[in-house]
Amino acid sequence: MKNTRGARFAALAAIGGLALAGCGSDNNTATTTTGTAGSASSSSAAGSSESAPATDCPSGTLNAEGSSAQKNAFEEVVTAYNEKCADLTINYNPTGSGTGIKQFNAGQVDFAGSDSALKTEEKDGVIEVDAAQKRCESPAWNLPMVIGPIAVAYNLDGVDKLVLDAPTLAAIFQGEITTWNDPKIAALNSGVTLPDTAIKPFFRSDESGTTENFTKYLKAAGGDAWAGEPAKSWTGKGEGKEKSSGVADAVKATAGGITYVELSYAKDNALGMAQIDNGSGAVELTSDSIGKFIATAAADGEGNDLRLKLDYATKEAGAYPIGLVTYEIVCSVNKDAAKQNEIKSFLTFFASSEAQSLIEEIGYAPLPAEVQTKVAAAVAALS
Amino acid sequence: MTAITNGLPRDRMLSEPRDLDLRGKSGSRALKNSVATAVMWAAFAIAVIPLVWILLTVAVKGGHLILDSTWWTNSQQGITARREGGGAVHAIQGTLIQGLVTALISVPIGVLTAVYLVEYGRGRFARIVSFMVDILTGVPSIVAGLFIYAVFITTFGFTRAGIFVCLSLTLLMIPVVVRSTEEMLKLVPNELREAAYALGVPKWKTIFSVVLPTAFSGIITGVLLGLARVMGETAPLLILGPYTKAIATDLFGGNMATLPTMINQDRDQAVTLPAYDRIWAAALTLILLILLLNLLGRLAGRFSKV
Repeated sequence: MKNTRGARFAALAAIGGLALAGCGSDNNTATTTTGTAGSASSSSAAGSSESAPATDCPSGTLNAEGSSAQKNAFEEVVTAYNEKCADLTINYNPTGSGTGIKQFNAGQVDFAGSDSALKTEEKDGVIEVDAAQKRCESPAWNLPMVIGPIAVAYNLDGVDKLVLDAPTLAAIFQGEITTWNDPKIAALNSGVTLPDTAIKPFFRSDESGTTENFTKYLKAAGGDAWAGEPAKSWTGKGEGKEKSSGVADAVKATAGGITYVELSYAKDNALGMAQIDNGSGAVELTSDSIGKFIATAAADGEGNDLRLKLDYATKEAGAYPIGLVTYEIVCSVNKDAAKQNEIKSFLTFFASSEAQSLIEEIGYAPLPAEVQTKVAAAVAALS
Repeated sequence: MTAITNGLPRDRMLSEPRDLDLRGKSGSRALKNSVATAVMWAAFAIAVIPLVWILLTVAVKGGHLILDSTWWTNSQQGITARREGGGAVHAIQGTLIQGLVTALISVPIGVLTAVYLVEYGRGRFARIVSFMVDILTGVPSIVAGLFIYAVFITTFGFTRAGIFVCLSLTLLMIPVVVRSTEEMLKLVPNELREAAYALGVPKWKTIFSVVLPTAFSGIITGVLLGLARVMGETAPLLILGPYTKAIATDLFGGNMATLPTMINQDRDQAVTLPAYDRIWAAALTLILLILLLNLLGRLAGRFSKV
């Protein structure tokens, strides 16, 4: 008797599990949206639908992996894409740019997202470009798709407008300037009453493309002021916090705090954002000003390999010089034609004005028109 | 005085009060007593505070979502970090399916190994097997995940899939099942075996119809506890089981969601976004699921009176 009772429990557990596994729905169309993103996305989707290029709708599953910086943009675009083409399931795992490239080169995912283009020089015994070529049996292309502006976010009561430049930022993040009313900051902010609060810089304790791009800017635009080399891990001073949400939370909770973080996190946490003086006047962070910065970038690849060389030291009036570009890394020629057709369909939508204006609403910047045309042409050339 | 009373059972001390000086505890003993009591309670509180804290935080932050029926019926398909709604059914299903398949693989292996160790194993080989099980118990989950990755993905060139998650979880579950089953089988009185032998029952039949049935509920308890342990496992999932927002039940191809990977997917979101609440709700769901398994294990254990 005892045994049958035990068995009954096991059976009950198994049946319960299976019963729960048997039902469930992927249909989430009637969901509410919050914030500016949701409402804006539906209106812009409706408004510009006729301008979007015609996409045929393949069915299947695409797996992509990589940069966490583009995760929210990617998800937003996938949702909008699925409103048109419901049969293509697209998964994105934000495991980081380096992991994404490794998984792509190992043939584990269909395409990768990365904050830096495939490296042409050897690192850890691997040349990424060659490994990708080997995986694809054709050159892999870097397609710039998402522009992520990096905000210099601060928390300072009563200071709504703050102007900083590269040498000052370098000094702040190296602990050389320690109070907000330091003469160097005051010199950039005439007419603003700065408190004598201590400056508390926060940095990303995890390896991050944001840190790499921010330090690239400090190095390029700050001249000798920044002592370290640009890298994914932080070499300056301050207090480390994990991930973008960590530094944003820390600044929000700390009077006198300052950090560098993706625009969307600064916006979501309602943090103050410094204007950056690039040498020809203070520039506010807007999609327009970051677009001007990307437009100054020089093409660094051949043909449809659209890697960009960002000019962090740009003195172009009205260009906000801190940002990163996330590339989608794809095989130019894919052995699996059906798979390539799926990638093509999705990336065509991603590069369209409709998708690009969609991600602008949630704290990214749209591709400048010139780059967008090139990307669209490159996507069309995938085979 | 102290020397005499120390070590004596309490009832004996009380039974011969007249020989002892019972004017109350001496100062130093009273002090020691109260210090020890205080330390004990403090240690208990320290152990309980984080537990209660975690449970309360998770329940408060995620509770409202799991009370919504869509949480148990819908997936996250089409839901971005900024949108509310959707559910966790894709992840719950994934966790249950992977747990079930893991159990299907590890229970026969684990139970049969335990039978060998208790009933047949003698000499050096049994000692080696026992030692290997001990080593397997100490393998960190990330190593189990990387091992499977190295063998199946790197060497044989498969793409990541749910079945590989199951295999790595199997590595973690087998030693738990072996150890608990072994203990249960050892508890089966030898007289039962001897009685069976006396009736002329062969050894395999004795094991099959006397020893195993006697220990059955105990084995079930061990299996459920082992399952509860591997279902909350995260490291192999991060390596081998990429996440998807859609319902996926195919173990042999494609991404498959599980509760731990669902938590991981959105943990970097700003706290103001709806996705942040869903992480807490997913954590609460996982805790409830494992609590349920543990309860089932205890319940099954109550019928185990070997």
